[in-house]
Amino acid sequence: MLQYLNGSWRKKIKMVAKLGFKIWLMLIAIVLALLMISPSFEKGAQISYLPQNSTAYEQGLRTGDIITSIDGEPILELQDYSNILSSRFPTEENIKLIITTENNEFILFTNQTPEIIVQDLPSSKIQMGLDLKGGARALVEADKPLNAQELADLIAVTSSRLNVYGLSDIVIRPVSDLSGNNYMLVEIAGSTPKELENLIAKQGKFEAKIGNKTVFEGGNKDVTYVARSGQQSSIYSCNTYTEGEVCSFRFAISLSEEAAERHASITDQLDVNTTNPEYLSEKLNLYLDDKLIDSLFIGKDLKGRTTTQISISGSGRGPTRNEAIEDTKKEMKELQTVLITGSLPFKLKVVKLDTISPLLGEKFTKSILIAGLAAIAAVALIVFLRYRKLNLSLAVLLTAFSEVLIILGIAALIKWNLDLPSIAGIIATIGTGVDQQIVVLDETRSGKQYSMKERIKRALFIIFGAYFTTLFSMLPLYWAGAGLLKGFAVTTIIGISAGVFITRPAFAEIVKRIIKD
Amino acid sequence: MSETEQQTKESKLGVKEGAKPIAWYDKNYKKLLILPLVLLILSIAYIGIFYSQNGDFIRKDVSLTGGTTITIFGENTIDIENLRNSLSNEITDFSIRELSDLRSGKQEAIIVESSIDSSILKQALEGILEYELTNENSSIEFTGSSLSNDFYKQLLYAILLSFSFMALVVFFIFGGYWKVKASSVILTLIPVILFSSGVISINIAIIANILVLLFNFIFYLKHSIPSVAVVTSAFADIIMTLALVDLLGITVSSAGIIAFLMLIGYSVDTDIMLTSRLLKRKESEINTRLYNAFKTGMTMTLSSIVAVGVALIFTYTFSETLKQIFTILLIGLGFDLFNTWITNASILKWFLEKKD
Repeated sequence: MLQYLNGSWRKKIKMVAKLGFKIWLMLIAIVLALLMISPSFEKGAQISYLPQNSTAYEQGLRTGDIITSIDGEPILELQDYSNILSSRFPTEENIKLIITTENNEFILFTNQTPEIIVQDLPSSKIQMGLDLKGGARALVEADKPLNAQELADLIAVTSSRLNVYGLSDIVIRPVSDLSGNNYMLVEIAGSTPKELENLIAKQGKFEAKIGNKTVFEGGNKDVTYVARSGQQSSIYSCNTYTEGEVCSFRFAISLSEEAAERHASITDQLDVNTTNPEYLSEKLNLYLDDKLIDSLFIGKDLKGRTTTQISISGSGRGPTRNEAIEDTKKEMKELQTVLITGSLPFKLKVVKLDTISPLLGEKFTKSILIAGLAAIAAVALIVFLRYRKLNLSLAVLLTAFSEVLIILGIAALIKWNLDLPSIAGIIATIGTGVDQQIVVLDETRSGKQYSMKERIKRALFIIFGAYFTTLFSMLPLYWAGAGLLKGFAVTTIIGISAGVFITRPAFAEIVKRIIKD
Repeated sequence: MSETEQQTKESKLGVKEGAKPIAWYDKNYKKLLILPLVLLILSIAYIGIFYSQNGDFIRKDVSLTGGTTITIFGENTIDIENLRNSLSNEITDFSIRELSDLRSGKQEAIIVESSIDSSILKQALEGILEYELTNENSSIEFTGSSLSNDFYKQLLYAILLSFSFMALVVFFIFGGYWKVKASSVILTLIPVILFSSGVISINIAIIANILVLLFNFIFYLKHSIPSVAVVTSAFADIIMTLALVDLLGITVSSAGIIAFLMLIGYSVDTDIMLTSRLLKRKESEINTRLYNAFKTGMTMTLSSIVAVGVALIFTYTFSETLKQIFTILLIGLGFDLFNTWITNASILKWFLEKKD
């Protein structure tokens, strides 16, 4: 085959073949890393938060959809979306809003800003941690030590509670620390629902009692259905008092057969109310986490009846009508959530709660990038000053860059969220990486009475020594502090391992060629 | 240039370049050891006094004591003095800092820290600023005091454990006798396995690891000295850095503790290089090997110092977290130059001279 090619091509192919296995391995690793990172050039704003009882949801919009234009005006980024919406709302009368997504078009009639929270489209597959892209993080602890099963139950209940709120980008996972404490970590990217703390720290024990007898509890054993939209779930009245506004809500629920029979047997023993003969003598009291939230009169017709349809009510308040409505909506939603998910057999406490704005993160990422580039450039300069060879300096630069690329590629592959500790880890890796490259340079340039192979072997001995000390010293951090600093250990371990097995051998090979030339 | 030519040139240069300092060092290296010894004792004494006055080794920030940090940013510049005065009417225990753009000096953000609960601090600030703090204009971080105490304890454990792991790897590499290597591996693995399977607690695992080190040191003293030199130098790095951090009045956050961990990794790199060159090579004089190792090590540490220094300048006004990590690393790398080339090198040279 070669003989058909002209001379210069033949030379090139020979050169490629001559690159050797180690350099090829590094090149392949770089290409694979780039594929993993694969920058995207799509434009638009992605929906990160959309409540299930909102009009937009009913029209068919979903979290994860990418909005490309509103009323024909293109949406290229988050800022465009905010600008358009703030120019439209609030208005007195309902206006028409045409929302175009990638695959569809939706029309809303509303006089309020839609309850949609959007975020910028990710520009690559690298996932930024909360401290860089913004969001909320909560670490939740129970009032007693939890075993694995209890922790799994807690996570299941919490995720169904958060699902009711239509949040998409949530991670809920168990974490434990060096002392063996268990926590639940909740991370919500991009947006922060205001009631987050309430939502995840509530034990959510709902009880409906007549006297001291429990008729039914929250959860699907007693409650088979909870109405959450339409006519069966609404705020039906608001009244003005001297302290402010109070609004009332009600929604329908269905009880299981078992709970309905309990209702029948308890009401059967009640008498008719003497002062108010339309109702029975005792009221149905609703308790949330042992706090009385409402007392309902029981119609006398219900005495002894197995009824599965029950209307639950409650109220919210605020200084103005609008605030009272907001508060009522919140109360109703919370109550619906605990009725659906049931209660937890222990009390919870939020021991750490961070809400980080997405706006600061962008600036942050930029300044970190600049700092990183400047640091690598400074190192290349030092190498040039010491060895007075431009190509060695470039080789150091190239290796440092490929290490960063490989770390980012692997991070994207394992879907690791790059947070500040992870970035500190990358910086640490570049630092030790350059140190080891200097070892390779000095070992290969000195001790010329030995073969190049022997010299590289000596360099690798030192490198492996340093590798194992760093590797082992990183392991404890994997568990310490409920894993919040894990990122540092993870990127460092990825980085030094990629260094020792891929980039350092390739660097030695490159240096070998440069010195021989 | 042929290889032999280059070689003669280099070896000539090597002798010429380093002849004077080597001769001086050769005469005085034992006396030089007094320097790190005095500095180490002073550091430990200072940390001891600091501990008795403050009840801890470091000044802890709210991420380690529990409390709230609120970062406010946005279009309008906030008058920091005004805010401080108004806030002091409502809250007694708080601190305010300002982050500004590196080039323009324009205010980027205000950071308010306090030991009180996040909702109270938020309300107080909203009252003074007369606008609502939302996700658009602020970040709020709250850590409960029980968690942060726990967190701090864990990080100290992590440092102790990291250090003992590092030490055991060093014993394995440079232990001069197979029993040293075997005992450090086996005896390290046992507590680690017992800890991860939940049989023993972390305290016992750490104590067990330290006992293994002592065991090696006492029973195989002759074979342990090079390893002990490396470990001592890393230990001195951390202690001296800690003393200086306290002396400078730096308030340490969880990120700062990470920096101490990074320091363990950075500081042993040069020590391992030095020890390999001196212990495992026979081709030339100890002094020549030491001088060559010195050249390599200086390039290593200086490039790290330059990289960290540049990164510090670029992030100084921007991120408290990175600023703290880089500052502590910079201090540590400075002490590493001192401890690698005086502490570690002198002990090792003494050991080798005696052996010969």
